[in-house]
Amino acid sequence: MKGIILKNERLNDKYRLMEIESPEFVKDAKPGQFVMVKTGLQDYLADPLLRRPFGVVDVRGNTFRLLYMLVGKGTRLMTESLAGSAIEFSSSLGNGFKSVKGKNVALVAGGVGIAPLLWIAKLLKDDGCTVSLYFGGRNQEDIVLADEFRPHIDNLIITTDDGSIGEKALVTAPFGRDVKSFDRVYACGPKRMLQAVSEICVSSDVPVDVSLDERMACGMGACLGCIIYVREGEGTVQKRCCVEGPVFDGSKVVWDSVCRVG
Amino acid sequence: MSGLKVNICGVEFKNPVITASGTFGYGLEYARFTDISRLGGISVKGISYNEVQGNLMPRIMETTSGMLNAIGLQNVGVHRFLKEKLPLLRKYDTRIIVNFWGKSIEEYVQVAEILDNADIDMLEMNISCPNVKEGGIAFGSDPAMTSKVVDQCRKVIKNKPLLVKLSPNVTDIKPFAKACEDNGADGISAINTLLGMAVNINTKKPYISNVTGGLSGPAIKPVAVRMVHEVSKVVKIPIVGMGGIIKWEDAAEFFLVGASAVQVGTANFVDPEIPIKIIDGLEKYVSEQKLSNISELTGKVDLSK
Repeated sequence: MKGIILKNERLNDKYRLMEIESPEFVKDAKPGQFVMVKTGLQDYLADPLLRRPFGVVDVRGNTFRLLYMLVGKGTRLMTESLAGSAIEFSSSLGNGFKSVKGKNVALVAGGVGIAPLLWIAKLLKDDGCTVSLYFGGRNQEDIVLADEFRPHIDNLIITTDDGSIGEKALVTAPFGRDVKSFDRVYACGPKRMLQAVSEICVSSDVPVDVSLDERMACGMGACLGCIIYVREGEGTVQKRCCVEGPVFDGSKVVWDSVCRVG
Repeated sequence: MSGLKVNICGVEFKNPVITASGTFGYGLEYARFTDISRLGGISVKGISYNEVQGNLMPRIMETTSGMLNAIGLQNVGVHRFLKEKLPLLRKYDTRIIVNFWGKSIEEYVQVAEILDNADIDMLEMNISCPNVKEGGIAFGSDPAMTSKVVDQCRKVIKNKPLLVKLSPNVTDIKPFAKACEDNGADGISAINTLLGMAVNINTKKPYISNVTGGLSGPAIKPVAVRMVHEVSKVVKIPIVGMGGIIKWEDAAEFFLVGASAVQVGTANFVDPEIPIKIIDGLEKYVSEQKLSNISELTGKVDLSK
């Protein structure tokens, strides 16, 4: 698919927010899904070669937004894309988050893991839920998009490792204190955070959906590069993070099989 | 479109662009993303007798203009493939090539025999996967072993043409190609991935749990072109060329050095429309070059000084 970049906005040194116009894309996309983006603009560029997966932040009219963190060559190249230029990406991929009605829910985000939670926050609110967002980062720079959540959530709890904003703690600290009040939890962030959130939820018997981010070549279920092990019955089964995920039942994920740490 | 019609080992392909094994799943994964009936053929993920879970993660890493993979030949096994995948894949108008392998000669023969009686168009014997200890490369790095496995499989493959996919991880590929031809292979596909490695300098660990992986993508194309050229000098059977093809110009190069068809691999991960773009590009090239058929290009590299 092709779209037109309407905005490629610098949030701070670490994050950018890109808005892309694509009527074709928005008609089928669902919250919690992701896209594979061609980071280089030129067709002849074979480096970076593979597309990069990004969670969809939300859709508005004919546009959708992507939040990206500057990590390597691909994301650096994306910063050079100007408004008005074309960008290539896949159709919407993955299973996504499912909303629930009238429940007390928590969203738990770590850093760039905030990206896929805004859209589901809006839906949950529309479905009559009480929504609390626990948002952790290393420092103030990681706390992006928080203001956009405010109209859709009832509570916002921010933590940072250095205390530059919010409580100086890991996000699991305040979340762990409150977990018993929730009916359901949605989480996205680094592996260790997701593992800790899942363990907290399991010990309090609260269902938890985690969105995982594995290294993937195709995003279409063919390369088998993003395998996750999930407990099923007595044993474990292999799942492709791109097709059967990226959202998994956090109580079933075999965390040692998850590679992506960041 | 008849300018692209080719006959490979007695099987007619509507065009010479085939998706390479290991990069196109069982074909069905891609049906949502591209018109797979436009493809000349699909070579499915390497099939063994039993279901295989593959290597531990991490299995892939991007490198400069390419990627390393060590999937470890994960597959559903021949029985589930025939029951669950093939009937669905057969609904598409494209040739089905089944890539297969074993951990022993007996397993190769066992799988070959089953596939020979299945509703497929061609077999592709994989003796070149660098990512599993037994099977694959063990048979592709010693010409005597290559001869043996090709000969034994040939004896049970009575109804279908047999391609043998060669490894580039040898000093000289020619004796391997010759061993295949001498033992009854109908064609050669070349090349599989090049053995590579990448290390994370922060954790000091290899990026891939298997330590080494197979390098593919545009980075390997010149090596692949050279090896197809070498193979074409020593065998008369058709060659299906591959290695780093991402655009039609790449495919045309392989024809010039002796290929009769091409396979597109890693490019499918980048953009599932690439094989179709290559088909369209080749068709235009054939007509601009005033050729009646693309096969007139095969082996026409001009080596004169």
